[in-house]
Amino acid sequence: MDFLNQHVASLTIFLPLLTGLVVLLIPSLRLAKSVAMAGSILTFLLSAHIWYYFDSSAAGLQFVESYEWIPDFGIRYIVGVDGLSLLLVVLTTFLMPLILLSMSHLNDKNQKSFIALMMALECGMLGALLAFDLVFFYVFWEVMLIPMYFIIGIWGGKDRVYATTKFVIYTVFGSLLMLIASIVLYLLYYAKTGVYSTSLLDLYQVGAVAGTQMWLFAAFALAFAIKVPIWPFHTWLPDAHTQAPTAGSVILAGVLLKMGTYGLLRFAIPLFPQAVSAFAPLIMILGIVGIIYGALTAWMQKDAKKMVAYSSVSHLGFVVVGSIALIGSEFSQEALSGALYQMINHGISTGALFFLVGVIYERRHTRMLSDFGGLASVMPGFAVLLIIATLGSVGLPGTGGFVGEFLILLGVFQANPIAAVFSSLGVLLGAVYMLTLCKAVLFGPVKHEENKALQDLTAREYGYLVPLAVLIIVMGVFPNFFLDKIRPSIDHLAKNYQNYSLQVMDVHHVQNREVVSVGLKAQSEQSDKGN
Amino acid sequence: MSPSFPILTHEFYLAALPILILSVGAILAMLQSVFNAFKGKMAVSTVFFICIVAALFSVFIPTQETSFLNGAYLSGTLAKFGQAFILIVAGAVALMFKETYLSDKLFKGEVTSLYLITVMGMLTMVSSDDVITLFIGLELSSIGLYALIGYISPNRKSLEGAVKYFVLGSFAAALLLFGFGLLYASTGSIRLSEITRAISSIGNHTWVTLGGMFVIAGLSFKLALMPFHAWAPDAYEGAPTGITALMATCSKLMIIIVTLRLFAGSLEPMAAEWQPMLAFVAVMSMIFGNVMALVQSNLKRMLAYSSIAHSGYMAISICAISGHSELPFQSILFYLCGYTLTSLVAFGVIMWLENEKADQLTLSDISGLAKTHPWASFALATAMFSFAGMPPTVGFLGKFFIFNAALQDELYGLIIIGAIGSTISLYYYLRVIVKMYMTEKPEIAPVFVAKRSYLLSLVVAIALTSVLALGTLLPATVMASLKKPSSSLLFEE
Repeated sequence: MDFLNQHVASLTIFLPLLTGLVVLLIPSLRLAKSVAMAGSILTFLLSAHIWYYFDSSAAGLQFVESYEWIPDFGIRYIVGVDGLSLLLVVLTTFLMPLILLSMSHLNDKNQKSFIALMMALECGMLGALLAFDLVFFYVFWEVMLIPMYFIIGIWGGKDRVYATTKFVIYTVFGSLLMLIASIVLYLLYYAKTGVYSTSLLDLYQVGAVAGTQMWLFAAFALAFAIKVPIWPFHTWLPDAHTQAPTAGSVILAGVLLKMGTYGLLRFAIPLFPQAVSAFAPLIMILGIVGIIYGALTAWMQKDAKKMVAYSSVSHLGFVVVGSIALIGSEFSQEALSGALYQMINHGISTGALFFLVGVIYERRHTRMLSDFGGLASVMPGFAVLLIIATLGSVGLPGTGGFVGEFLILLGVFQANPIAAVFSSLGVLLGAVYMLTLCKAVLFGPVKHEENKALQDLTAREYGYLVPLAVLIIVMGVFPNFFLDKIRPSIDHLAKNYQNYSLQVMDVHHVQNREVVSVGLKAQSEQSDKGN
Repeated sequence: MSPSFPILTHEFYLAALPILILSVGAILAMLQSVFNAFKGKMAVSTVFFICIVAALFSVFIPTQETSFLNGAYLSGTLAKFGQAFILIVAGAVALMFKETYLSDKLFKGEVTSLYLITVMGMLTMVSSDDVITLFIGLELSSIGLYALIGYISPNRKSLEGAVKYFVLGSFAAALLLFGFGLLYASTGSIRLSEITRAISSIGNHTWVTLGGMFVIAGLSFKLALMPFHAWAPDAYEGAPTGITALMATCSKLMIIIVTLRLFAGSLEPMAAEWQPMLAFVAVMSMIFGNVMALVQSNLKRMLAYSSIAHSGYMAISICAISGHSELPFQSILFYLCGYTLTSLVAFGVIMWLENEKADQLTLSDISGLAKTHPWASFALATAMFSFAGMPPTVGFLGKFFIFNAALQDELYGLIIIGAIGSTISLYYYLRVIVKMYMTEKPEIAPVFVAKRSYLLSLVVAIALTSVLALGTLLPATVMASLKKPSSSLLFEE
């Protein structure tokens, strides 16, 4: 148990990668699939362990592991969990078995490679979420790209090469600027303390001068804005989504996009508090433009998948507005918890929507809204699940979306009523386009002959859709079950973002529930003396 | 350092053993092709590999002194690092070469001799502080290379490459020699480390500046920095792929080590004069190298332009040299190690795929390669990611260290251009991957007969493993082992 508590973070990161490698080595496809499923479920259980033993009364960093990686440069392997990453970690590991389940019908010779890439992708995402060393984070941030590049590029639609190349080049350009800014930050820390360290816990103390902060923040924010994507950096997203295979779209919408907003909260805001105050109005405006633009564009789409893709732009606009609302507002805990909650909720409801679009695409090989209609009578099970996912996405009371959007709007209204008014337009428009989607697919007469014989959901499809539907409702009814875990971290960030620091908690506190802090900085100083 | 009377001591022979062994080997190989009894492929390659291995072992013989014949021959840690590196890489390239390119029909004993002479020249160059010895080393290695490019399998392309490289290379050598001459004329010394002292005392003399410029131009030629790059695409494309690999790796290393010696030592006092020039060629190389690579369809030609861009990145960190910190040296040497390993993988795979029918691999030749040759595609894809500087490969850490070194010197402009160049480069590296993994095999496709060269596969596998290991588990070890050679540069000042 002690071993598990000490290494659970690393195990969670690398178990998927290991599973992926094993999958490649197993000759039998059936066995390989079972191994992948077992590996992903085990990863989920590991993250459940983190969830269960996570001390929800503390804002500090838990389950920390810290080793030297490149001591000459003070680069360390530091992983740990706090409230900001906890939910996202669990979301990632939760989605992965469902995705694997949804994939098993693919009659593709390269299925094993697909599974292995998915597992590598999971490793990259979990690594980026759990890393607390800037360079180490960057490594995972980029490692996420490579499997996604292949997933879209090999198994995608007609224009897959264009879409995937665009996706990678966009993202890498942003990340390179972030890399440069990270190095500058690292050198600033060295100039201040005489110690090389890339540990985020140390870098939080840098407090760069205002002018430098602006540039550094701009570089970080651009990288994250491309990933989110914040309008006007969103153009890669519809392409990537429409070309990606269903499993790729789910993971892209479910987790990858959240990396951008997570990065804002974890890196950009606490590292550059002054710059973020200066940029806050701009980001807020871009977020609102994103909400409205995404919603209007989604409304106009004739392709169901594109519609869901643009709805992501709109929903993530909410998350951005909620994240940034904490600047200059004392009531912002609500907005921030709303933003975090909405990230999870969007991951689940949009994931479900992409799955559902995948279901009908598989049966009809088209995603055009005009090719459907009246499916409610042909596929009742599908209809129920689509309506639940739609309502979750729209934010009807009783679903997770409501809680997230409500909290965001509440927080934003206290900070800036005008912004709240414009943001809430997004809620309205969201209802318009999502209901358009529902209406076009489900209701009315069955116009096309082919649709009359469509088969309703199979047991396997229920297998991966029902958990999502249940979760949408659970998150709407018992929000505090989730929010209580992350509240201290959110309060801590909201109150102290201008002078942010994170405490490291000893692993033993998990058993004793006693906070024993270990100064990581002292450790790294010691190691530097050693050199 | 006290001036010592140049005497060929026992100690000197011990230190110079690697070079002596190679020269004996070169003569033996030449003789072998005269006497019929020893002419066979087996006999020649045995002598060859015994020489390389013996030379490699002799590098590690410790000697008391590190400078001989008034600095004409050095055996300090940097020199030893360079020698070991060159011998290992040249040996690996020869192993890859052995069974693939040199079919019995084409086999010529002189090739072995030329190869050994080239390697010997490279060893001489990395272990000398004396501009005359330096120049002899450079010429030995260059003349060997000119011949190797055109001689192994003479065809239009390789002859064109050889002639271009020869003409431009001789021109570069003349520039370099002229530069050294000017430096000697104004400082009265042919030793790099003494030139430094002289420059510090006489200050910014026009002749010194001019000499420095010529030297930089000459070295830029050899590094294929834009605008001195014109030979590189033709030479890379025309040369047998093994020789291309040698040019991309060992040749670069020897020039970089000389450049580091020169800039850390001699030219340090006039950094303000040469830095803008070097920055200019770095920027040109990063932008045009990458842009030109975008439109290439021949793989080796594309890699030639990519190597121009990579030389640009290395030039950035040469600009960052301040003489007070070993960090830039360490960074650039790490980058070179990474670049070398990656090149070995890339060229190894190209060699593996080449045959008489598909002599020059183009992008369309490798369409759909992943389906038929998954391991070769995986290796080539990893190499492309490493060239592009994506984690978890060594290319990323190399780029990180170089950026780090340059930012420490506050070279923001260069770094931003480096980042833009890097983004551009991603496009053509990805295109290789797109072709292999995301394109269907065309109707009429070249047939790749998998060659049964276990040695080639082994070398590529080892290099590939190192590319990944250096990017993940081992960077600290390598970085630490580069510390000593790097700090020796500081002390030689």
